[in-house]
Amino acid sequence: MEEIRIEHLTKDFGGFTAVDDVSLVIKPGELYSFLGPSGCGKTTLLRMIAGFEIPREGRIIVGDQDITQLPPYQRQVNTIFQNYSLFPHMTLFDNVAFGLRIKKIAKAQIKEKVRDMLALVKMSDQADKYPDQISGGQKQRIAIARALINEPKVLLLDEPLAALDLKLRQHMLIELMNIHDAVGITFIYVTHDQSEAMSISDRMAVMSKGKIIQQGPPDDIYERPASIFSAFFIGETNLITGEVTGIEDEYVQISCPKGNGEFVEIDSTFHFTPNIGQKLTLSLRPEKIAISRYKPRQQDDFNTLKGVIEDILYLGTHTQYIVRVGELKFRVFSQHKRVYFDEKALDWEEPVWLFWHDTDTWLIDEVTEDATDDSGISPESAPYHRTSKRSMI
Amino acid sequence: MKHYVYIQNPLEVAERKRKNLQSWILTAPAMIWLLLFFLIPYLIVIIYSFLTPDIYDIKFEFSLDAYRQVFSGAYLQPFLISFRMAFITTIACLILGYPVAYFIARAKEKTRNTLLVFIIIPFWTNLIIRIFSWRIFLAYNGVLNDILMNLHLIQQPLEIMRTDLAVALVMVYVYLPYMILPLYSVIEKIDFTLLNAAMDLGANEIKAFFKVTLPLSISGIFAGGILVFIPALGAYLITQLVGNQKSLYIGQVITYKIKNIPRNWPMASALSLVLLMIVTILLVASYLIFMHRRRRKVA
Repeated sequence: MEEIRIEHLTKDFGGFTAVDDVSLVIKPGELYSFLGPSGCGKTTLLRMIAGFEIPREGRIIVGDQDITQLPPYQRQVNTIFQNYSLFPHMTLFDNVAFGLRIKKIAKAQIKEKVRDMLALVKMSDQADKYPDQISGGQKQRIAIARALINEPKVLLLDEPLAALDLKLRQHMLIELMNIHDAVGITFIYVTHDQSEAMSISDRMAVMSKGKIIQQGPPDDIYERPASIFSAFFIGETNLITGEVTGIEDEYVQISCPKGNGEFVEIDSTFHFTPNIGQKLTLSLRPEKIAISRYKPRQQDDFNTLKGVIEDILYLGTHTQYIVRVGELKFRVFSQHKRVYFDEKALDWEEPVWLFWHDTDTWLIDEVTEDATDDSGISPESAPYHRTSKRSMI
Repeated sequence: MKHYVYIQNPLEVAERKRKNLQSWILTAPAMIWLLLFFLIPYLIVIIYSFLTPDIYDIKFEFSLDAYRQVFSGAYLQPFLISFRMAFITTIACLILGYPVAYFIARAKEKTRNTLLVFIIIPFWTNLIIRIFSWRIFLAYNGVLNDILMNLHLIQQPLEIMRTDLAVALVMVYVYLPYMILPLYSVIEKIDFTLLNAAMDLGANEIKAFFKVTLPLSISGIFAGGILVFIPALGAYLITQLVGNQKSLYIGQVITYKIKNIPRNWPMASALSLVLLMIVTILLVASYLIFMHRRRRKVA
């Protein structure tokens, strides 16, 4: 198994730079995702690895072979296309056998391999059907079989689940992971759906405007976002701008304006050394904040704020509260666990306490004037954005 | 085993009858037209083919002479010549027309319509005028020979007029649009990401074409082939105006049987009907082959 190195890859389409000086290394056997909003360059990057686009600059190296300039049919790379692109004039058997027949492999051997492959994707009994006679999920399986039978070094998946409905998507996601484990080759997965990427990837790259914003394991990107974009694009967060007013051991105190010249003080641990007076952004995940109508017991390593509930959104698995603290608004997720909250439900306009552990405050060494990020999604529009993301898993 | 009883709703029955009547009324004008000017004339041709020839007209005496002569092989030559030319024309139109249809189908949407207009423009000029233009172009002292002589590519004017080559050239010219248009309409519907998929699976451009694009455009090839082959088979104008008068095409033979004195109406009728039979058999056969492929797909 071989490593994939992408070095300074750049591609433009008539003055528009789709992929801008991207470098990354994908480890052998890894399931790696490119995640980003549409137009971020993730599909172009994939198409360059597949050979459908030739970059203006940079190299793609698989193992020790430079494949940058090779045509698609000379690369040991296969693709699952977004709409599956099964050949409508061939049976499923012939679709899967396509690659082997091109290579002029002996008939008996083809038959055996196709049978094994159809068994892997659980489509053995459908071999004689045509693509227009099977469902979306089945087409997906055939597309996977058709690609994997060529024993590629890398399998590229271009938004493979986008055309499927929700239940099937969840099912196929698990199946894709199983297939990845079974064949053990490198998968490169392109998606705009962050929950899909989070649940399937070993590591992923968050992309925006042709550049990689951050890469790493999903939990790393979620818990430790390096930029406002990745904090915002992955999951939900409260972004608050503040100024460093004190540093003590491993804690830093940040003063955040809440309007009318007043401030709230928030404590945080830090992963880079801030200076007194430095402006920065706090990222606070809504599920890390506890909400209660009673004042919590004072603890040194807790942040405690008093606010008023402005809005309540019941979402089944949890409730989202919008809590006003001065002019700041916090989004808070609270799960419905009787063992924790054996009490009357919180109500609109009710005064509440928010509290969270200092280590759950995350500092981002970046400030934006308005809270609109690169993707054009502002925190204000986030509740709507989130419902679509939440619908995944 | 379940038994379903279908209870007819009288209102539904009335509605169905009304719709039936409606469709009859709507199709009646075309039906009457076809009956008067297609079916009845054909019946006359069939009757004529079993009668006895007279110098100018026919005698109403039953005779199988015409068919006896047709099947004796006396007219094999013109049939063969016609079939050969129709075949050559169809293949040439396919080879020349496919790339054009492909190019138009892959052009940008705006350009496509303009290009299609260019394909249709020749239809705006009368066929006879177009054939005469070819005569001027191909003649011994014609435009083509002038150009070639002036370029010193040839020493002697070429004898193209009145050869099979001239017939083939004009045939391809006249029937090419009938090949391009159905091909275009089929190729235009092909999902070209399938070619990406084929190349991704190891096929180079040529293999991808023969394994994906060509099989997917087969219905266009069938349609175009029929639209070119059948009129080319019975072509009279082209063969008469630019063709060699020593070896006659079947269309010419039939015409001469009627035009030249003594006339032979039964012979002309029998030849026409045999030609019609051959074309019908070809059509049915190709339809069956085509449907067989389709059925295999659906089954």
